[in-house]
Amino acid sequence: MRNVYLIFRRDYLGYVKAWGFWLSLAAVPLFMLIGGTFAIFAAKSSPVRYYAVVESGSVYADAIDAEFARDEADIGNQARDMAEGMDLTDDQRDQLRDNAAASSRKFIRVPAPATAIDDLRPYLLGQQLVSGPLGDKPLFAVFIPSSDGTSLEYWSDDVSVSGLRWQAEAAMRRLARQQAFSEAGLGDNFLDTVDDSALTVPAHRIRTVAEQTTAGSAVTMADKAPVYVAGGLAYFLWLMIFSIIQYLLMGTIEERSNKIFDTLLTSVKLPELLAGKLLAVFAVTSTMMLSWGLFAFGASLFATSQIPGGASLLSPFLAAFANPAIIIPGLISFLLGYIMYGMIFMALGSLCDTIQEAQTLLSPMMILLMLPMFAIFIAFQDPGSPVIDIASWIPVFTPFLLILRMPHNPPMWEIIAQMLIMAVTAATILWLATKVYRAGAIHGAGIGDLGGVFKRMFRRKKG
Amino acid sequence: MGQPPLVMRHATKRFGAFTAVSDLSLDVPEGAIIGFLGPNGAGKSTSLRMALGVMQPDSGSVSLFGKPPEISTLKRVGFLPEERGLYKKMTTRATIEHFARLKGFTARDARARAIELLDMSGLSELKATRISKLSKGMAQKVQILSTLAHRPDFLILDEPFSGLDPVNQQVLEDLIRAEHERGATILFSTHVMEHAERLCDRIVMMARGRKVFDGTLNEAFNALGQGARIAVSEGFDLAAALAPKGFEAHRAPDKGPADAWRISLRPGTGAQDALRAAIEAGAPIVGFAPEEARLRDVFVSLVGEADAAALVESTGEGATA
Repeated sequence: MRNVYLIFRRDYLGYVKAWGFWLSLAAVPLFMLIGGTFAIFAAKSSPVRYYAVVESGSVYADAIDAEFARDEADIGNQARDMAEGMDLTDDQRDQLRDNAAASSRKFIRVPAPATAIDDLRPYLLGQQLVSGPLGDKPLFAVFIPSSDGTSLEYWSDDVSVSGLRWQAEAAMRRLARQQAFSEAGLGDNFLDTVDDSALTVPAHRIRTVAEQTTAGSAVTMADKAPVYVAGGLAYFLWLMIFSIIQYLLMGTIEERSNKIFDTLLTSVKLPELLAGKLLAVFAVTSTMMLSWGLFAFGASLFATSQIPGGASLLSPFLAAFANPAIIIPGLISFLLGYIMYGMIFMALGSLCDTIQEAQTLLSPMMILLMLPMFAIFIAFQDPGSPVIDIASWIPVFTPFLLILRMPHNPPMWEIIAQMLIMAVTAATILWLATKVYRAGAIHGAGIGDLGGVFKRMFRRKKG
Repeated sequence: MGQPPLVMRHATKRFGAFTAVSDLSLDVPEGAIIGFLGPNGAGKSTSLRMALGVMQPDSGSVSLFGKPPEISTLKRVGFLPEERGLYKKMTTRATIEHFARLKGFTARDARARAIELLDMSGLSELKATRISKLSKGMAQKVQILSTLAHRPDFLILDEPFSGLDPVNQQVLEDLIRAEHERGATILFSTHVMEHAERLCDRIVMMARGRKVFDGTLNEAFNALGQGARIAVSEGFDLAAALAPKGFEAHRAPDKGPADAWRISLRPGTGAQDALRAAIEAGAPIVGFAPEEARLRDVFVSLVGEADAAALVESTGEGATA
């Protein structure tokens, strides 16, 4: 174990002393910070614009206002639903709903300062301002009915912002339906009445009677969190394997080009050397990802602390993460998956003399790794899919899919059998990769000699 | 007396159809300095790698301090491989420290030993310098120090002099002598015969994967016998001319305007006798020198001109008529 530690220590320190490591470590939180700040700034600084409707009455204007009001109500209700999982009073939840609704409005109607487009031109071009609830501003857009009455023309200096026009189109469609229903004698609000009378479809989680008595049947975040946590773990494993390809390939090439194997192998056994190297890369990527995870967790804690009662949003995820039924098989799959893929990459790296050779290997490896990624995506969408059931027995997919299946309580025998398959596969790969590594590192075999490598490794020794 | 540092018995190593080492038996007794000689491709490095257990022989056996090569016995061995290599981003001190620790030193002892070796070698200024910043010769010096860091009982040095300038070659010779005086057994391979002549009390010669000589320097020179070197005008067959007079002549692997021949002298004959015989045979002589026996000549006489030429080529040595 001492030798494993010494190899691990040297490799780990070698990686973390490189400036690129610290750049990578800092880059993700920095980009998260910049991205988050930018998103908040963009949301807060998004301008509230004035628009006007030129018409003798207020039919069109009212229809557009009503459309905005519907959207605001939807946003408010979504915020209210999210607030259900937070430790808040009803009044506070209503307040949250109202705030979310109010902050979503980005267009305010003002009286039209003129009726003809030529007279409105200086306002639309920003040469003259109009007064409104937020002070004097340029007029962003104006709606003018066409002379033949078949369209409501939208005039603006900035046609790249389409939100207002889309709202107006939706409002005009609704208005046309209302008028049609009214003319048919069904009343102005027929459509709304019909919509309101539709049955709602609330989701319920079926549980045993005893569980249902205590936990109820309503679907909460506690029901969804294990799926999200398992998905996160599977993706984390994938990301880790994806990011170690370069470390393992380049690290082994460096040693091969440094001609250092002979010296090392007179001091440590080959399995100790491989274990130390594999652990070092595992520790390097873990250091990075745990740092990013801690940063994200800290940021989440900070964000939820800013929302009254928001802390309770995180608790279902923490509970899912601490659930042994998810985390223990998850960690075992994680470890075995890492060994399987890590050893393959390391063995292939030992056959490469140059970076160019390694780069030619990167593409097939990336493609190999995209397959589990697709499987993760499908399993996340539909964990009960027969494709996923079958794929979970194929060793290259098992580490990812077993993690994803855990929240859905697969039969215990399947969990044990799949873990055994992973363990046997990992052991076989370990054995094979050690042979390939020995052939590459000691006998100088190259990637083009793979046939010879296998021939040599299986040849019976004489004497 | 403990177990001998190295015993190889009938060790053979093949790579496909090519036999790199054939039926090699070798004894390295405690306290010896043994030179392992031969041109490039003679099988020296493969033999040393088998001795260390880095490579397994296809047949035969290897015993290191009485056991098959394994990490516990290898802790008593310091190995300098032919293909030098260190971690380029490590400092000189950290490098020596790392290899000392791998051989069993504690962190504190390894650090103290690294500083001691660097100070001793006049490299104390470079303690914190990365290997990548060093010249090739300097880096090689650091690798040699790494090999010595754990005070090994048995030093196996594969071509230790290659890549070093004459001054550093002398420094390394002194270092090898110092290690020997400390009590270390030393086996080193080289294709530069002069190093072996100066350092070794025994030599093993390899050619085309086979051992062709194993003995002391005196035994080597006795095997060769006395000689003389005669240069004649190009095209004259001195061997044919001297054969009737009982002298054996071989074309010397030297390059020059004339053809150089080495004449082997029988006991009781001298260089002047060979010269006289050549004159009598009508040889167009352009040069003559009584020959002091050199290891290279021993090698020539043992393996023939083709391998000798390979040796001369690999050492880059010129002719001396």
